[in-house]
Amino acid sequence: MRVLNFTVNGTPRTVHLEEGRVMLASVLRDSLGLTGTKVGCGTGQCGSCTVVMDGKAVTSCTVPAEKAEGTSVLTIESLAEGSVLHPIQQAFVEAGAIQCGFCTPGIVMRLYALFTQNPDADDETIMKELDKHLCRCTGYETIVQAARLAQEKLRAAR
Amino acid sequence: MTLQHVGKNVPRVDSVRKATGEALFVADIVLPRMLHAKVLRAGIPHGKIRSIDTSKASAMPGVKKVVTGQRCGMLFGTCLWDQPPLAVDKVRHAGEPVAVVLAETENQAAAALKEIAVDYEKLPFVLDPVEAAAPGAPLIHEKNGEYRRVDYSVHPIPGSNVFHHYKLRKGNEQEGFAKADVTVEDEFEFPLSSQAPLEPHGAICRFGADGDLEIWASNQAPFVLRDVLADMFGISASKVRVHIPYLGGGFGGKSDVSIEPMVAYAASFVPGYAVKLALTRGEVISGALIGRGMKGRMRIGAKLDGTFTALKAEMYFADGAYGDTGWPVDTVAGHNCTGPYEFPNAIVDVYGVYTNSPSVGAYRGYGHPEGQFMSSRLIDMLARKLDMTPAEIMRKNFLREGRKNALGQTIKKSNGDLFGCLDVVEKALAEEPLPPNDERYIYGKGIASMMKSPKMAANAASCCHVQVNADGSAFVNLAGIEMGQGVHTVFAQMAAEALELPFEKVRIYFDVDTQFSPWEWQTVASMQTYRGGRAIQDACRALVEKAKETAAKVWNCVPGMIAYKEGVCVHPNTGATLSLGALARGFMAANGLTVGEPLAATGWYRVPEITEPDPETGMGNAAGSWTFGAQGCALRVDRRTGEVKILHFASAFDVGKAVNPAATRGQVTGGVVQGMGAALMEKILFTDEGVAKNVTFPAYKIPRLHDAPEKQTVVLLETPNEEGPWSAKPMAEHPIVAVAPTILNALRDATGVEFTALPVTPERILEALKTRKEDK
Ligand code: FES
Ligand code: FES
Repeated sequence: MRVLNFTVNGTPRTVHLEEGRVMLASVLRDSLGLTGTKVGCGTGQCGSCTVVMDGKAVTSCTVPAEKAEGTSVLTIESLAEGSVLHPIQQAFVEAGAIQCGFCTPGIVMRLYALFTQNPDADDETIMKELDKHLCRCTGYETIVQAARLAQEKLRAAR
Repeated sequence: MTLQHVGKNVPRVDSVRKATGEALFVADIVLPRMLHAKVLRAGIPHGKIRSIDTSKASAMPGVKKVVTGQRCGMLFGTCLWDQPPLAVDKVRHAGEPVAVVLAETENQAAAALKEIAVDYEKLPFVLDPVEAAAPGAPLIHEKNGEYRRVDYSVHPIPGSNVFHHYKLRKGNEQEGFAKADVTVEDEFEFPLSSQAPLEPHGAICRFGADGDLEIWASNQAPFVLRDVLADMFGISASKVRVHIPYLGGGFGGKSDVSIEPMVAYAASFVPGYAVKLALTRGEVISGALIGRGMKGRMRIGAKLDGTFTALKAEMYFADGAYGDTGWPVDTVAGHNCTGPYEFPNAIVDVYGVYTNSPSVGAYRGYGHPEGQFMSSRLIDMLARKLDMTPAEIMRKNFLREGRKNALGQTIKKSNGDLFGCLDVVEKALAEEPLPPNDERYIYGKGIASMMKSPKMAANAASCCHVQVNADGSAFVNLAGIEMGQGVHTVFAQMAAEALELPFEKVRIYFDVDTQFSPWEWQTVASMQTYRGGRAIQDACRALVEKAKETAAKVWNCVPGMIAYKEGVCVHPNTGATLSLGALARGFMAANGLTVGEPLAATGWYRVPEITEPDPETGMGNAAGSWTFGAQGCALRVDRRTGEVKILHFASAFDVGKAVNPAATRGQVTGGVVQGMGAALMEKILFTDEGVAKNVTFPAYKIPRLHDAPEKQTVVLLETPNEEGPWSAKPMAEHPIVAVAPTILNALRDATGVEFTALPVTPERILEALKTRKEDK
């Protein structure tokens, strides 16, 4: 049986992979119970399964599990500290950017990768990153507001 | 008293758990002894099943059971029982389930699926609803007309594919058109499309050895689902328990029932095991419920001053393989196709037609976008013919106090202010004049008005249960489903208002469970704020009465003299007080002696006196509430690419009262973008072999951020009314209703081309620009 060794949310993990194609999204959700990562399409198009792998945002539904070997993966479950929300999460709550919430974890993780790497990302860069996600509920207006607010909060905390 | 909670932008009660990923959706739920299901779908649009060989698949690793529909004698439905849970002897669309593999893992189930051999005798198929309704079309249901049905409402034409014919006969066609000075007429198409909630459908079902059935489902209609399953299996409804977790969007695609009877049927072969099915995105489009699919023709007659004299319409709906979820959409599309205008004569025929495509069900707007697409585009055409503005024609004919709608109901002032909505939209658009056309871009503006009057079962009601805890906090229990629209937040605001309690002290039950939740028809038709809110008011009123009764026993006075304020009963003479908390379990004296009932109360609301439309005239008291609105946009067309950019989209709706204005705005901005998708990009396409082909993202394209309007203006009018709780009226589906005609009217303005079929893709625009003579 194939074995995957990687770090998830700071903890080393060993996962036995079943026969056939196994994607990172399934390892996180089904093997590790990290169901905050959502699967909306399975084809890398909607962004709802986005996690951060070695500092980069990836759609975990298109990453074969083997590719995660030796990497460090962060999921939405890693962001809040106890009951204190991460500033990006807080921004989504305050901006009213969450309706059904199915797209939210993925977008939050993409912004986490962006702002960690490039805290002063300009508006165009932010929009380009957000454009990798689908949201059927909000019409994106509040999501854009949340992203800007998140950047402000992160700057203020620096 | 000034409102403390209603009308305030309180943060959503579900947002923290959704921001952290804690909120559970059905796919996140894992049960002990759980099997995973994968579904074999027909792959051909129409055919007889000669044989199914599951022997190889059954022997595959991890496979517990392979279930087929062979010898299944069950049909399910709510008003028209025409669908088996799994194909029995025939397949009627390419996504129809033929077999279900139950295995220990999803991968094992998927592997076994490939080993099932099905032998079909292919039959001719038909996808187009007009062709399907014509004589000589391949018959999709030989038993059309014989199925059990609610015959007051569903009107099949036996021997054809028409399983429902709704007709509206208001006034007289000939007389109406004889009075007209001008007529406009055209043909229209609103294609099959996907509601595309971001969360795919899922269900987990388990039969106990005692025959009890328990199901967790992404479903907007738990009690309908319960009753349908009980009926299908011939067991008592009290043996069926339905749990609904959070829904990742619904937009109608998860209402009534879709995949659940199939999952339950499969689970019935493995009692003691939970069976989980999570659809892929492809299956959401090919194997659950889709929306719209209308081909129609409409004619409007008017006087020279723009006054309407008559409307005549015919609509054919490609309702797919099964009709139970389609027929009510067809009926609603019929009597609402007039839009928010008075037509003294309106003759409408709507045909719900079986086609070899996935079944059509509710999709945000429920028939209204289809019919009003036609009337709103024709008004734009009529305006040019009469040399008037579309707004002038609208104002001439708007429903208003004393006017009669297509159903013959008389509109009251409190039903809403169309004039106000249109004024607002016109003003918003006028504030930013269009730039002049240039080498690259051409610009245009368009407007449309709308109304929505929800279709519901005549006995549809919401029930509410309120209970007070000893610390004075309150539990409020209703079965309205939170699918993103914010219903739990709005419920909490209204309950806090009714009980005069701080917001934090009110808790709405998050999990809907038919074993504990009070009965609710279903979360559709944008009725939760209105109907659920009235049920909350009713329950809270009863609760306060009970508190007063107990206080009266304590004070030895009559309950009627006691005042209630902010969670406290007050004796008017002595000034003595008793809090809800102190009365929660009855009032207990120092020695333990207790008087009065524990504080809990129920309430309910039903929109009064709704009837189904009369089978002959199609008229009657079928609409119980209206929401009116207007929308307008300014857009830009790129001459080189044909791409459309919406520069400004303005919406105004008379919502009676916005309980949470920020959440309401969110409904509008989201609905507008969803409507843009329908106008400019979304359509389910089929191969020549009749198989839906663009079923995954990005082949099925829905709007992304860069597609969204550059700016949205949202104005909410608040006309006081006696219907809604604190005047609040339905407001959720509405923003989508007029979007497509608004955009197409603006495209006409920009390009001079009358588009009448959706979606208007860049390719179609380029094509049309080539043949266009000159700039406007
Ligand atoms: S689920 Fe991975 S991108 Fe959609
Ligand atoms: S909030 Fe529902 S998909 Fe974004």
